[in-house]
Amino acid sequence: MAMPQQPSQTPDERRKRGRSYLTWFLIVFAFLLVLAGPTVVVFGLGMLPTLVAFFIDRTKQKSNSLCVGSINFIGVFPYIMDLWSGINDFNASLIIIGDIFNLLVMYSAAAFGWFLFLTMPSIISSFVIVLQQRKVAQLRGEQKDLIDEWGAEVAAIVEVQKMEKKEQHMEQGMEGMETPF
Amino acid sequence: MANALDQAVETAAAQKDAAVPVEGDGGASAPATPDTPAPQSKTPPPDAAPAQEASGATQATPVKDTSGEKPGEKPAPAKAKAKATGIPVAERNGPQAPLDAAQFPPVELNGRYMIYPSMALPELDSPQAMAYSVEDRREPGRQLFALICKPGLPVRTSLMRELKSQSIQGMIPMADFGPVLWSPIDQTAVAIVFDRPLGGRFLDTFGDRPPRVNEYELGKLILEPVAHAISELQAIDFAHRAIRLDHLFFMDKERRELVVGECLSSPPGYDQPVIYEPLDRAYAMPSGRGYGMSYDDMYALGIMTVFALLGNNPVARLGDDEMLAAKAEFGSYQCLCGNERIPMALIEPIRGLLSDEEFERWNMEALDQWLNGQKKTPIQRRPATKPKTAFKFGGREHMTTRSVAHAFSKNVPEAVKIIKNGKLEQWINSSLGETVLADTITGIIATCKVSEGSPDGSDDILVAKVCIRLDPHAPIRYKNFSFLPDGFGAALAVEYLRKGNFQIPGEILARDLLSFWVAAQEHRTPDLTSHERTFQTLRGFAKINEMGYGMERCLYELNRSLPCQSEILRTTHVDHIDDFITSLDQVADHVDTRSRPMDKHIAAFVATHFKYDIAPHLKALSDSKEETSLIGLLSLYALIQWRMKVPTLFGLSSWLGGLLAPAIGTYHSRTTRRTIEQEIPALVRQGSLPELFDLIDNAERRHIDTTDFEEAQVAFAHAEEEIESTVGEGVDQNKAALQVGERVTATIAIILSMIATTVIIFVQTM
Repeated sequence: MAMPQQPSQTPDERRKRGRSYLTWFLIVFAFLLVLAGPTVVVFGLGMLPTLVAFFIDRTKQKSNSLCVGSINFIGVFPYIMDLWSGINDFNASLIIIGDIFNLLVMYSAAAFGWFLFLTMPSIISSFVIVLQQRKVAQLRGEQKDLIDEWGAEVAAIVEVQKMEKKEQHMEQGMEGMETPF
Repeated sequence: MANALDQAVETAAAQKDAAVPVEGDGGASAPATPDTPAPQSKTPPPDAAPAQEASGATQATPVKDTSGEKPGEKPAPAKAKAKATGIPVAERNGPQAPLDAAQFPPVELNGRYMIYPSMALPELDSPQAMAYSVEDRREPGRQLFALICKPGLPVRTSLMRELKSQSIQGMIPMADFGPVLWSPIDQTAVAIVFDRPLGGRFLDTFGDRPPRVNEYELGKLILEPVAHAISELQAIDFAHRAIRLDHLFFMDKERRELVVGECLSSPPGYDQPVIYEPLDRAYAMPSGRGYGMSYDDMYALGIMTVFALLGNNPVARLGDDEMLAAKAEFGSYQCLCGNERIPMALIEPIRGLLSDEEFERWNMEALDQWLNGQKKTPIQRRPATKPKTAFKFGGREHMTTRSVAHAFSKNVPEAVKIIKNGKLEQWINSSLGETVLADTITGIIATCKVSEGSPDGSDDILVAKVCIRLDPHAPIRYKNFSFLPDGFGAALAVEYLRKGNFQIPGEILARDLLSFWVAAQEHRTPDLTSHERTFQTLRGFAKINEMGYGMERCLYELNRSLPCQSEILRTTHVDHIDDFITSLDQVADHVDTRSRPMDKHIAAFVATHFKYDIAPHLKALSDSKEETSLIGLLSLYALIQWRMKVPTLFGLSSWLGGLLAPAIGTYHSRTTRRTIEQEIPALVRQGSLPELFDLIDNAERRHIDTTDFEEAQVAFAHAEEEIESTVGEGVDQNKAALQVGERVTATIAIILSMIATTVIIFVQTM
């Protein structure tokens, strides 16, 4: 079954939506800055690699950003905890971010996140491909068993479904052609 | 005391107009003496056989020797053969070469009678059956003979059943009957056992002399016993329909007891020479003359009386057509006796018996009264309406519409010309003055013109309808197929036996000629209504081109005693549903079991004789799908076995078991199929068709099979969908796998982050 097509967004709509997101971000940011300014400063500077990763991430589900961000957060979170458990003011936050070692820890974590994202998916995908091939082989085997037991007519329904799909596709194509411009 | 025949002959000899047939006399006596010379027109020369070409009876081929007959040979009605006296005699089989007793051992009938194929009795042959010696095992000295009927020719089984339970006085006694496997032809035929007439055939006692019986003895010698036979048959609602002079026998050696011969081995009136039949039945072909009534027997008795009284056939010089035309014009009595010297005492009975109108013809009561010496009011002959001019057609001049109708039916192309050019209407109007009839003919012509080009407007239909209107009492005559409604069954059977198809009878039903015939009758009787209803039913059957219907169904509906004509059952004689399934079981060992034990004849026979509703079975049987048809076949035979309470049918079970592969194939599951195939041999060994059917078409098993199949289809589709989504067309497996890897990596990172965060919080707070 073909999914109904999403109506395409016009550039104006996209621009409007972008402005709306920015407005909400600024409101939340200002709110957080007022409530937890030092934390926001440490978090903002410590998570800069994640921000970069977010902007350059081309994956659909932002897996890259999630991966880098999660590991980056492991490097940032201990310093935030220092703030929360100790003096929680802007000076303390500036001291933390002024220490090159602290920044090295935070950005190394982000780098490890990048490293994970660059190496792990290809390894996992190899496993996935092997698993998928096994699954397909298993399904083909099941289908063969079904044909052995019930004859080739058991597969007729699949052919019928394929034909229906094709017909539906053709009908939609014809309808599209008939639509006046 | 001299016997009756001797007395009669003595009296006749005293009159010097008869020879003396004495037992053992070789026929040396001279024929008719010159003292009473017969008029030249009355006594034909010895070599002058009556012209017979035109009659229905004489169109048939001569009868052949049954014992030398090949299986499937077509029977023909007896050809009337005339002796020097001109009296027509139904032709019987001539002497045959004796068969070897060792090669053809005696055949047993009903466990009691031994019939000897090597001991033929040609003097007792019937036109359609040959006579053989019989030995009764229970009464070894009993004098019997058996008639072996021609296979396939419809015999009068219902009358046989009656005669088995009661004897008819004045008719040759029947002892038993039944089918036997007749070795000389290797076919099953009906054998009828009779008491042997020790005095021989009545006509044979005269040798070559005229069979003349004087007027004083005629009543006692011939009329009384034959009248008894007619009367007793009438009491059980039967007519003899084979009463003729050459078919009388003496049961005793002293020749005192005269009886009329059998009438069982052929359809009613089938072997009668045309002259013995009343006009309406005489116009029909031999097989279409119908069951008839005692009136028809009385007419034949009248004819026989004239022959016996005169010792010759007074109209022997005339051909059948001429004789019929003369009968139609002058009346039967006038035609036969007009120029003869009939004794005063016999004028009334002969006139009464030969009346052409049934309602005027003498019945048994009238004849009894006369035989007891009471007088009857003489019948006043009404002069026929004579036309002003004769109607010329076919080289003859016709004085009656009956004669015209008969001539038309013999020459359709010429008749069509005459009908269409209006000469017939002109003659009817101007010469007969029957304007209503003329208008009716005009109407028929107009109707046929409207349907021109279609079968309803064909020349044959036009002539058939015109003939019906010209002579409403005459048979329906279409393409040389002529019959009275009560004779359609036998005519249909004989037509099929001869030609192997139902073409013409089928056309008659399709064109609904019988309704036209009924509408043409002056008086509507219950019989007519019954015939009309029967034919409407037959039309319905004929229209359906499925197993159990069609013309085959009509054949068996009209001929209930006709054995099944299926090629499969050719070697057996199955005329009852009780014997059907067991006979089929018996032939199973001798037939090609790759063919089905079913054909249109078997289906029609079963549909006719089996009293339970088998319409759904027939529907399935006619299905174009082989498997459905096979299941229908099996279910039908299973039902018959169950209803008939036949315990085992090993042959048929084996036969059907071997054919069931397509039916087993209706199950989707291979496992179920294998299970069924493995179980079949065990059930075949049990000989149970119901169990075989239950195995093949078990409702629960079929339901499970269907449900499971549907589930399997769904499972297959799901698997296919999954495969398609993984490695299907348009799917980049590496890319998809990489995406999965990315997602998994992100997930791992998030989990790691959560764990680390928790640990940090835990460490910090400790």
